[in-house]
Amino acid sequence: MTTQEIAGLIDQTYSPQTWAGLAPLLTLAGGILLLLFVELFERLHPLRAPLFLASLIGTFLAHKYAGAVGPILGGSYIVDGATVAWGQLFLASTMLAWFFARQYYRTSLAFLGEHDILLLTAPLGMTVMAGAGDLVTFFVGLELLSIPLYCLAAFRRRRNDSVEAGLKYFILGAFGVALLLYGAALTYVGTGHLDLAGIAAGLEGPGRPLAFAGLALIAGSLFFKLSIFPFHLWVPDVYQGSPTPITVLMATGTKAAALAFLMRFAAVLPGSSANLIALLAVLTMAAGNLGALVQKDLKRMLAYSGIAHAGTVLLAVAGTVAAPALAGDAIQAVLFYMAAYIFTAGGAFGILAWLEADGDLFTRIDSLRGLARRRPWLAATLSLFLLSLGGIPATGGFLGKWLVFSVSTRADLITMTILGVLLSVVALGYYLRVIVAMYMEPEPAELAPPMTERAWATFGTSLCAWMVLILGVLPGWFLGRVF
Amino acid sequence: MLLSLLTFLPLVGALLVAVLPTRGNAALRAVTLGVTLVVAALGVWVFLGFEGASAEAQYVESHAWFTLGNIQVTYRLGVDGLSILLVALTAVLMPFVAAASSGHIHTRQREFLVWLLVMETGMMGVFLALDVMLFYFFWEVSLVPLYFILGIWGAEKRIYATLKFFLYTLSGSLLMLVAIIAAVYGSGHSDIAGITDWAASQPLARTGWLFAGFAIAFAIKVPLIPFHTWLADAHTQAPTAGSVILAGVLLKMGTYGLLRFGIAMFPAAAISAAPLFLALGAVGILYGAFLAMAQTDVKRLIACSSVSHLGFVVMGMFALTAAGLRGGVLQMINHGLSTGLLFLLFGAIYERRHSRDIAQFGGLAACVPIFAFFWTFSMLASVGLPGLNGFVGEWLILLGTFQASPLIAALAVTGVIFGAVYLLKATRGLLFGPVIHEENRSMPDLRLAEIAVVAPLCLACLWIGVAPGGLLNKTTGSVEALVQRLDAARGTLQSAMLDDVERPR
Repeated sequence: MTTQEIAGLIDQTYSPQTWAGLAPLLTLAGGILLLLFVELFERLHPLRAPLFLASLIGTFLAHKYAGAVGPILGGSYIVDGATVAWGQLFLASTMLAWFFARQYYRTSLAFLGEHDILLLTAPLGMTVMAGAGDLVTFFVGLELLSIPLYCLAAFRRRRNDSVEAGLKYFILGAFGVALLLYGAALTYVGTGHLDLAGIAAGLEGPGRPLAFAGLALIAGSLFFKLSIFPFHLWVPDVYQGSPTPITVLMATGTKAAALAFLMRFAAVLPGSSANLIALLAVLTMAAGNLGALVQKDLKRMLAYSGIAHAGTVLLAVAGTVAAPALAGDAIQAVLFYMAAYIFTAGGAFGILAWLEADGDLFTRIDSLRGLARRRPWLAATLSLFLLSLGGIPATGGFLGKWLVFSVSTRADLITMTILGVLLSVVALGYYLRVIVAMYMEPEPAELAPPMTERAWATFGTSLCAWMVLILGVLPGWFLGRVF
Repeated sequence: MLLSLLTFLPLVGALLVAVLPTRGNAALRAVTLGVTLVVAALGVWVFLGFEGASAEAQYVESHAWFTLGNIQVTYRLGVDGLSILLVALTAVLMPFVAAASSGHIHTRQREFLVWLLVMETGMMGVFLALDVMLFYFFWEVSLVPLYFILGIWGAEKRIYATLKFFLYTLSGSLLMLVAIIAAVYGSGHSDIAGITDWAASQPLARTGWLFAGFAIAFAIKVPLIPFHTWLADAHTQAPTAGSVILAGVLLKMGTYGLLRFGIAMFPAAAISAAPLFLALGAVGILYGAFLAMAQTDVKRLIACSSVSHLGFVVMGMFALTAAGLRGGVLQMINHGLSTGLLFLLFGAIYERRHSRDIAQFGGLAACVPIFAFFWTFSMLASVGLPGLNGFVGEWLILLGTFQASPLIAALAVTGVIFGAVYLLKATRGLLFGPVIHEENRSMPDLRLAEIAVVAPLCLACLWIGVAPGGLLNKTTGSVEALVQRLDAARGTLQSAMLDDVERPR
């Protein structure tokens, strides 16, 4: 390589386009550094909240105005429309987690600064995952997301279940990452490439069997994060043990990030694997829905329902693997589904965080009895979220389901789609049970959830409710904005 | 704009009732009654202005809603001969339901009135939507209010009945959702006219599956045998207002769906499936009648009679003749009126005695003569006494069915007899004989407010019985156009079969 060529490469790497593509990541990183600085001086602590919000808003604007600049840094980071949309959704998920975390922790106030810093690192990792064009970038993003989450899951460090959740998440997460790295190594040996485009081309070569083994391992690690059968068993314990605001982030943001990369990764997968993926999707729905049916605790029930939702959205992935021509529709479906899910599940977990108030007693379905009488608006909002999770029209959950099923139907996965449709009837069975408890059963004599007022949580919940309704009634607003 | 008002005015009313800052319930009831009356007036206005000779959708409103890929989903409302009567029925029935509810809903009235109004929006939307997405939207939204009405204000086994109702209906709807997705993406249209045009050019193998997806959802809603078990539980456990809405309007969403999305959208598939539906309808008539004969619970008996009556409607529609179709459409209205009346009347008695068991009554004719008069009148309307509404509908249906299949028609006629048997038996048990239970003697008769609710509905039954033309004329254009399309589809089917015969493989 001559000097001139190297200079050209440097110019290309540090072009304005690159800076524009990196702008959201840099804004977030800058915000994290500033928060760390603020943490040093107690007098600056009042700045924590404004700084956190400013970082989120700044990043949002950076996404919006920098826009989709295409592949940068030699193709290892791809800033297309999907990356931009995902990045903004991750910010929404983080913001919700932050809203619900206000006034949530009673005992560990001293560490709220660390909490916010770790929380702000998560969307950075997620965005890198969503834009990753090669396996190494994806690995960096995954670790950047996972390590803060391990800490955050164990954040209520005096409670055994929280520490258990953190440890469980860490050990299984490490296992998932090991799968990824081993898979990446095998793929590299098989194809000689780590970037997705190169892998796709290299699959025709002699290293095909090795590469396929590698791809299967990578898919396994993605399925682990996405909680797809048979990698879903960790979910209920971790979701239940973690502080509920962190559960919001794990249930919505992390899942969306894994899905974002899975959509890119699907382009590499051979069409013949579509049936296997669709089968896994249906099995996941069955495992999640049947598991949720027998739960007595709402938080655990929502964890299982999250598994079922991951299965549903995996049908769209199977659709795009089966029929690559549908890729554009599939990404639209998945984005809409996850947007609706972030606000729906985020809102539902947020209400739980509100009721929970340092004790698990009040997340039992029994203790919600008669909530409609005591707190009508809270009960109505929770019902709205539950109906949206069940996919009833006028809520965002309905159109998400419609789009996903439409992709899998058009990809000729009719049998699996019908099985999935019937399983979602089971889902309504347990969502309605909660509504029955809130509206149709008499109040328990004791154990009423505390009536704490929380301004941020109120704001977060109403934001979710409005978004669920807007996505349900005026979906064009979102669809037009993204594409 | 008129149809949007008709659909969304109740929703506005619901929001108003939800937030109105008052502790008493009188103001809330007044608002509800006022809103439903305005909607009823609008409904009558639309009905009177509707041009029955035309087959076109009228009062059409069309706006772009959102796009899916290159498919434009529209907010498209309109009314034609297939829906005009149901729209008018819904609009007119609701004020009576709202007025009657004050007598038997004693707790959480505000919530009840909110759900009642939301319900009206859902039902109106179902009948007015001319876009499948919009239709499905309203179709499922209308499940939710009834779920709450049944579950909160129902009788002792309400939660079981509610879940059964919801999950039964939902499993059908979701299969319909798959059919809708296939139809929308297959045709590239989401408005009903676009899909209908596309379906006409498709082979029977494809439209058959689509028809099946739609038909299962509607068959559950109607309900046709063997999907009928949810109805008896739901009716029995529902509060009176719930039963009236369920029998009066909600079940018609099923028969209306079969008509608009089964027969009108996929005529060729409907022709092929007609023998099955004729048989199911006839079985429903007889089986429902036998079930009703065995009941001791009055509400359950009326519910079983609904299965029987709706069997008539389905049979008439799937005769696929002009008389059968018109009879089917008219009989939907008749059933709504007469069964609604029976539920309203028995609701009044249930309020006084809190029993649904026939054995608890007897000799009421002497104790509460006004009730006895109205009950007998409604019962006769339901049986199909000439001069009252039921007769016209059943006669047209039997005429139409006879043209299609004399055997089925002959079977169904026996159903008319059995219908008279169980209703007369129930009436004897309730009204005549000695007064066995002393508390029945002191039972107060119908109040003026209750008479004001049932009397106009009885008059409507009489009016339809004497001069059915006022209603039937509104359906002429649409039914004629539908029969022409059916004939065309029959021709295509026959020539396709001839092709098969001439070109042996």
